[in-house]
Amino acid sequence: MLLNETKADPFTLEIVKDSLLATGDEMFIALAKTSMSPIIYEVLDYASGLTDAKGQLLTQGNGVTGFIGMLSFMVKQTLKKYGEKGELKPGDIIIVNDPYGGGGSHLSDVGLVMPIFYDGELIAFSANKAHWTEVGGKDPGSFTNDSTDIFQEGLQFPSIKLYDAGQLNEGLVEIIRANVRFPDLSLGDMWAQVAALKTGEKRVKEICEKYGKEMILAAINNQLDHGETISRQELSKLPNGTYKADGFVETDGIGNGPFPIQVEVTITDDEFVCDFKGSSPQVPGSVNCSFTGLASAVRTIFLAITNPDQNVNDGVFRPLKIIVDEKSIMSAERPAPTSNYFETMLGCTDLIWKALAPHIPHRLAAAHLLSVCSVTLSGSHQDTDEPFLIVEPSVGGWGGADGKDGASGQFCILDGETYNVPVEVAETRYGVMLDEYSLRIDGTGAGEYIGGKGVIRSYRALTDGQAATITYGRNQYRLWGTGGGLEGSVNEFYIHKSSGEVDGPHGVYPRYALQKNDVLKLMTATGGGYGDPLKRPAEQVARDVKNEYYTVEEAKTLFGVEVNPTTFSYQELAVRK
Amino acid sequence: MRVATDIGGTFTDLVYVDDNGQVEVAKSHTTPPNFEKGVIDVLDKSNINKEAISTFIHGTTVIINALTERKGAKTGLITTKGFRDVLEIARGNRPDLFNIRYAKPKPFIERYLRQEVKERLNYKGEVLTPIDKEQVKEIVEYFKREEVEAIAVAYLHSYVNPEHEKETIRLIKEIWPEVAVSASHDVTKEWREYERTNTAALNAYVQPAAATYVNKLYNKLTNFNTNSQNFIMQSNGGTTTFEEAKKVPINMVESGPVAGIYGAAVLGKLIGEKNIIGFDIGGTTAKCSLIENGEVKVSTDYYIERNDRNAGYPIKTPVVDIVEIGNGGGSIAWLDEAGSLKVGPQSAGAVPGPVSYGQGGTEPTTTDANLLTGRLSAKNFDYDVNLDLVRKVIQEEIANHFDMTAEEAALGIIRIANSNMLNALKLISIRKGHNPQDFTLVAFGGGGSMHAPALAKELGVKKVVIPIASPVFSAWGMLMSDLRHDYIKTYIKRIANLELDEMMAQWNEIEGEAYQQFGDEGIQNEDVVFNRFADMRYLGQEHTVKVPVPDGNWTEDDVQEIVGKFHHLHEQNYTFRLDNSETEIVNIHVTALGKVKKPMINRIERQTTLEDAKTETRNVYFENPKGWVQTDVYQRELLPINEIIQGPSIVEEKAAVTVIYEGQTLKVDDYGNLIIETGAR
Repeated sequence: MLLNETKADPFTLEIVKDSLLATGDEMFIALAKTSMSPIIYEVLDYASGLTDAKGQLLTQGNGVTGFIGMLSFMVKQTLKKYGEKGELKPGDIIIVNDPYGGGGSHLSDVGLVMPIFYDGELIAFSANKAHWTEVGGKDPGSFTNDSTDIFQEGLQFPSIKLYDAGQLNEGLVEIIRANVRFPDLSLGDMWAQVAALKTGEKRVKEICEKYGKEMILAAINNQLDHGETISRQELSKLPNGTYKADGFVETDGIGNGPFPIQVEVTITDDEFVCDFKGSSPQVPGSVNCSFTGLASAVRTIFLAITNPDQNVNDGVFRPLKIIVDEKSIMSAERPAPTSNYFETMLGCTDLIWKALAPHIPHRLAAAHLLSVCSVTLSGSHQDTDEPFLIVEPSVGGWGGADGKDGASGQFCILDGETYNVPVEVAETRYGVMLDEYSLRIDGTGAGEYIGGKGVIRSYRALTDGQAATITYGRNQYRLWGTGGGLEGSVNEFYIHKSSGEVDGPHGVYPRYALQKNDVLKLMTATGGGYGDPLKRPAEQVARDVKNEYYTVEEAKTLFGVEVNPTTFSYQELAVRK
Repeated sequence: MRVATDIGGTFTDLVYVDDNGQVEVAKSHTTPPNFEKGVIDVLDKSNINKEAISTFIHGTTVIINALTERKGAKTGLITTKGFRDVLEIARGNRPDLFNIRYAKPKPFIERYLRQEVKERLNYKGEVLTPIDKEQVKEIVEYFKREEVEAIAVAYLHSYVNPEHEKETIRLIKEIWPEVAVSASHDVTKEWREYERTNTAALNAYVQPAAATYVNKLYNKLTNFNTNSQNFIMQSNGGTTTFEEAKKVPINMVESGPVAGIYGAAVLGKLIGEKNIIGFDIGGTTAKCSLIENGEVKVSTDYYIERNDRNAGYPIKTPVVDIVEIGNGGGSIAWLDEAGSLKVGPQSAGAVPGPVSYGQGGTEPTTTDANLLTGRLSAKNFDYDVNLDLVRKVIQEEIANHFDMTAEEAALGIIRIANSNMLNALKLISIRKGHNPQDFTLVAFGGGGSMHAPALAKELGVKKVVIPIASPVFSAWGMLMSDLRHDYIKTYIKRIANLELDEMMAQWNEIEGEAYQQFGDEGIQNEDVVFNRFADMRYLGQEHTVKVPVPDGNWTEDDVQEIVGKFHHLHEQNYTFRLDNSETEIVNIHVTALGKVKKPMINRIERQTTLEDAKTETRNVYFENPKGWVQTDVYQRELLPINEIIQGPSIVEEKAAVTVIYEGQTLKVDDYGNLIIETGAR
């Protein structure tokens, strides 16, 4: 390319932008492929990306939606602590998981940040954040549902240097090794994170080498502006106004709650303001969410509403404004426990979703399972006696929407490219058998477009002394329907003991003791319905009955269709006319 | 005579080689839904003596079409009690992260046709609950009443112990011999119940259509009095007989596309290149695949309809590792909402096609950009080209926005298209730890030769080969193919606990099965060649690395060598190694080739001069240095052998054009391939 056209050439800019995006993808894939932990390689509970020198997000590869935006806060914290004092050097890698200072979620999510220098100048950061199976703390798997302060939840890394100018901090590695229950997993994941960061660094330097620093910096600005432009265009299509919703975070896991939360969303031509003032103050149990977590919650739903298709960078979020009281349940401060921050985060996402669903039905839907539905199960394997630890979210029903039925058996909005653990893999690795993995048919979520089905997953313990820590939020309030659609159900679980006794339903429960042949029956919610069930085509209702999604009785009472149970011929009842 | 036919989206290609080593090609339109008609048309068009066909090899899109158009059979599923919804729950993932209205892929088998049987194995394959045969019979009767046409059977842990599936198949055949059946262990022996069940379901779903198609084709061929041996191309880069193809038709899902990659490997052997990047640009997509040490890479990590918006459907069948992106000649150039130029993945397709076709296309495409910049000339088209219209469209749709000329905008389209393709090429090379300098790019398909020289230089590849028959190279690849079966089995074993006897028994069992299968296909044991691989990982990891492992009986030393190789490959792929971590085998994989006699490719002789070959000099708009350059244009068939042409210049042939840039050189080798030195350092 000729020198005199460096700035003017829009195509080179485009190509450099593409190279940056491709780098983001590459870093993302590299981490999954080398991780040691199912929570990373199956659940993809991690994110990675690049920011500019100021910590503005340029590109983010996401496994889970909930990490959106968290990378930039980590980088900004790094800049605050080291950058402003000129203490960042090539080869540095900073480790951070402090929820209130740059981390944003809980201690289990460990972030790494690497400054990228070219020609002695700081030009970008490569960063990632991944859920470690173990960071110590009082319970196996670290994040827990009955902690009362942050110190019970594991090791804290308040933005410290893991590498100083390329030199590994061996002492820190030893501390980690000594403090976590599965050090090979945690450290293995850490090395995978380091490798992915270095890949990012290498690629950015190559791009600088090829196109020159000026061109990269121009492409970065162009990228951010591009995001903002698209975001503002989409914003202008939304109906101006003020919309309100309220709801609850049901429990903090130690007997308190429900905690009221509320939002007032104001949409103008150029702003999208979410005001959470008046919501509950921070709480004793572990459902507190820091401001960073709240920002990610709002960003998630903002993207869903404006443009789910685009590449995500900080420019996109420029029209966003978040207002919240200090020390609230969604802006918690030290030393509030935050293990289960995601339940409050989901609650915040849901508030905006619920406030706007009636007004932009073409982008939204009725309520979905509204909980990560996390399951931690520990014990020993029946054949090898080796200890095992299952850490996994659960799939459930999504809401019906204008023009489409809700999806069945999907992870909640904060998860994303997350995979359930196959039964055959679980039975090989862990000391369990599964009695069933099936759709939950409970007659709820009726509508012109029905809510997706929740799921039943039944773990049978094959050894004595197993412990299950279950966090099924949204256990009391049924999932809301919209536009005349009916409510879905709730998330809950039962224990079918080998003695024949049945215990339940429960929602949030720490360390439930399971003996051999006890069955943990996990049931997730059916999503809310959309639109009047009487408008669902009768032929479709008959089909639903044939497929056993609804019973003959439900077809009649909810949908107004009489279906013959053997021939599945049908007749519309008077109530529909 | 050996004849290969390849059905593509628009054209059905034919390549044959006669007993003197002479290669000829023909093309005819593809004729959906009766694809066999297109095959017969192209046979007619080629004027070959059909009775002289000794071997007939066929690549078909029938399977992938039946899947994507949902035109397969009404299929029922029999599965383990408690798990009929596995097919609907799938894996719960949502690539379209921020889409609240995400549409989950619908299972191919509706819920009322997914039926459960009381039976259960544990993870070791031990029977916990014997199979309830009465229940199986009732289900079969139910399927009969529902007029099901095909039945898939998939039980938990059948990859370890297939007995219950086998018993079920026996029962079905007893009651209902006509119905198509597919047991999961017959299709894949890997763990993960959703993936295996879905593979069996899709195999059953296409089975009746596949059988009908293969039978029709066979009958037509028989009508010609051919006495040919007939083979079908599979997704693993090898062929199988018509009879075998009907049993596991899902193996043909990528029947056509992989043949070109296989062809690139064969060509590499011929001209002494072991490390190759195969690169195929068609009308709507570009595909690439990396061949290392002459070995085409095959894996079962294959999906249909999967992209960054959709989870798609897994098919655990061995498929050549191909990266495919939505960038071909017909890809549409467009401006996004913020005014950035994008190319693809939308394509103008065959109808209306690019603006230059004059068939009603109104959106600018890569082909139009290549025309406006002189890389293509109006004479290359079968249509009457209205160049002014092409210029007008590019000016209005793209150039005006950037306040530039139509030619500059056209160059921008080409650069963005190249950037997209470059990312795909990097994905399979640099990002997998390979140095492009060690590879030769073999480019084919209608657009491969047009873009490859520029892309290769950018990627750092020194040499590009545009093979003989490059526009129909997939069919050429089929001509050169052997029979091939891949046997992949989940076999989880820590290396530290490896029992060599047991391990050898596994290999021997698989290889015995292969001899049997080849025997049925008329291949003698001495013509069978095995290659063994182990999919390995560090204990605790999920993703595996495919490690080539020795034939014959292993010693402890062999095992140590295998572990060493694994560490090395892990480091190459993922930048690090963990020398002190325990390693384990997850799958064992045998590729088995049934070698057949293949034609010799003749060296060509040609007494021509560059002057003979030169057809014109025309203006071509280049990027560096920027501007119009008087460029010589040659006709490929008349180029003298081993004479160097300096870039910039253009070589034209029927249905393809090669463009080389300043600083690049091109020559024709002894076989008629174009060899380009890219100038990459």
